[in-house]
Amino acid sequence: MTIVDAQAPDLPIVFVNDAFLNMTGYRRDEVLGRNCRFLQGPDTEGPVVKALAQAINKGEATNQDLLNYRKDGTPFWNALQISPVRNAAGLIVYYIGSQVDVTARKAAEAALEAAAAEQARTAQQALADRTALLHEVDHRVKNNLQLITSLLVLQTRRTLDDATRAALQSMLSRVSAIATVHRRLFQSHDLERFDVATFIRDLMGDVSSGREEVDIRLDLERVDIAAAQAAPLALAVNELVDNAFKHGLTPGRPGRLRIQVRRLNGHYVIEVCDDGPGLPENGVFEPGFGLTITNLLAQQLRATLQFEAGEPGLRAILKLPAHG
Amino acid sequence: MSRPLSVLIVEDEVLLAVELGFLVREAGCVEVGHALDSADAVRLAKVLKPDIALVDVHLSDGPTGVDAAREIAERAGAIVLFMTANVKRLPDDLAGACGVIGKPYSDRAVRRALTFLARCLQDGAAPGPPPPGLALSDSFVGRWGVEQMAQAV
Repeated sequence: MTIVDAQAPDLPIVFVNDAFLNMTGYRRDEVLGRNCRFLQGPDTEGPVVKALAQAINKGEATNQDLLNYRKDGTPFWNALQISPVRNAAGLIVYYIGSQVDVTARKAAEAALEAAAAEQARTAQQALADRTALLHEVDHRVKNNLQLITSLLVLQTRRTLDDATRAALQSMLSRVSAIATVHRRLFQSHDLERFDVATFIRDLMGDVSSGREEVDIRLDLERVDIAAAQAAPLALAVNELVDNAFKHGLTPGRPGRLRIQVRRLNGHYVIEVCDDGPGLPENGVFEPGFGLTITNLLAQQLRATLQFEAGEPGLRAILKLPAHG
Repeated sequence: MSRPLSVLIVEDEVLLAVELGFLVREAGCVEVGHALDSADAVRLAKVLKPDIALVDVHLSDGPTGVDAAREIAERAGAIVLFMTANVKRLPDDLAGACGVIGKPYSDRAVRRALTFLARCLQDGAAPGPPPPGLALSDSFVGRWGVEQMAQAV
């Protein structure tokens, strides 16, 4: 504790207790008569000193944490509390100062702050690493899909047998559908959702350029599905479109193909309609490989797959529950 | 009839390069060379003076395709088209390239893009908006008048 004379010039110390002397390392005769600023040093913060001076000028009490220095030069954090003492006439005659060494608390605070900053840095680094890894994996998946696609095309080119060629081409179209999904998934900002309408536009862009005689109508509402469903749905749609081109739209005939995506009563409904021969007379298709995998994919998607007579042609309806 | 366009393929995956060669011929162009790394790419571009260079970003000497593309576009006078799985890593100006096709691409997308570029080069203007799968750089959108076309439609 210190008491300074508020009426003497430059506020000299007129009393100190032993606790003050123990805290600062000075002898009593070294501090009496001096202004308290001898405790300040190179790292004492200017704004804090200024706040102290302002409070004293206004005759107000104040609390400040400031960095002070002992006689031996070691710094310590001083939680300083200054209160004015007035005489009967209201004139400030003394200031009483109480000092508490809070170096340990300050160190703990600083350590906490440093730990928090370090944690933030680590988290940021982890995020950066994760993003870089994601890009790297994305890059590799794309390149590998490209390699698989090119291999299939290369082998198709060298295959003379019609049936083998057709099988290779079907596989190529399936792999391409998955490739289109992957290209789109990472282009979007939301990695969790997949835009079905954009996929169908992409898919038809690739399919249609070989079949200019077909009039393609797309009637697509924007529908987002979970990314995990993207590949199976894309494959199923690809099979339905492929089926329409193979059986409904004979090459050379100026046929019509209509694809519609819409929401209906908590479901997403995807319709692929051609104007070909339609359902067989007994209403049952030969279960080819394409139909088999479409049925399996529909099961996986918890979707229903129906074939109806179009007017004319065939209408394939894939109806899957909408989530969110 | 004008002469077919000459194409240099810069791709370190040999199978992809072979298949690209087929697509180049199917689009009515001529493949004049194939480079696996950036040094070869720049050297071949300067010697062969191709009309078009198809450039992957990742080559056998590392992610050097962007620098090679810039050198080929500026010093060899070829029109560069990027073909990469790393579309997001390309600089904003596409290093002087006319555009980019993202991998995995389809054979149709490549044929369409090449046919489109051939028309652009022969006429000095685009025959229409770029086909699906091909994204043009801003400067080539301006050069080939694609912007006015998009507005006119």
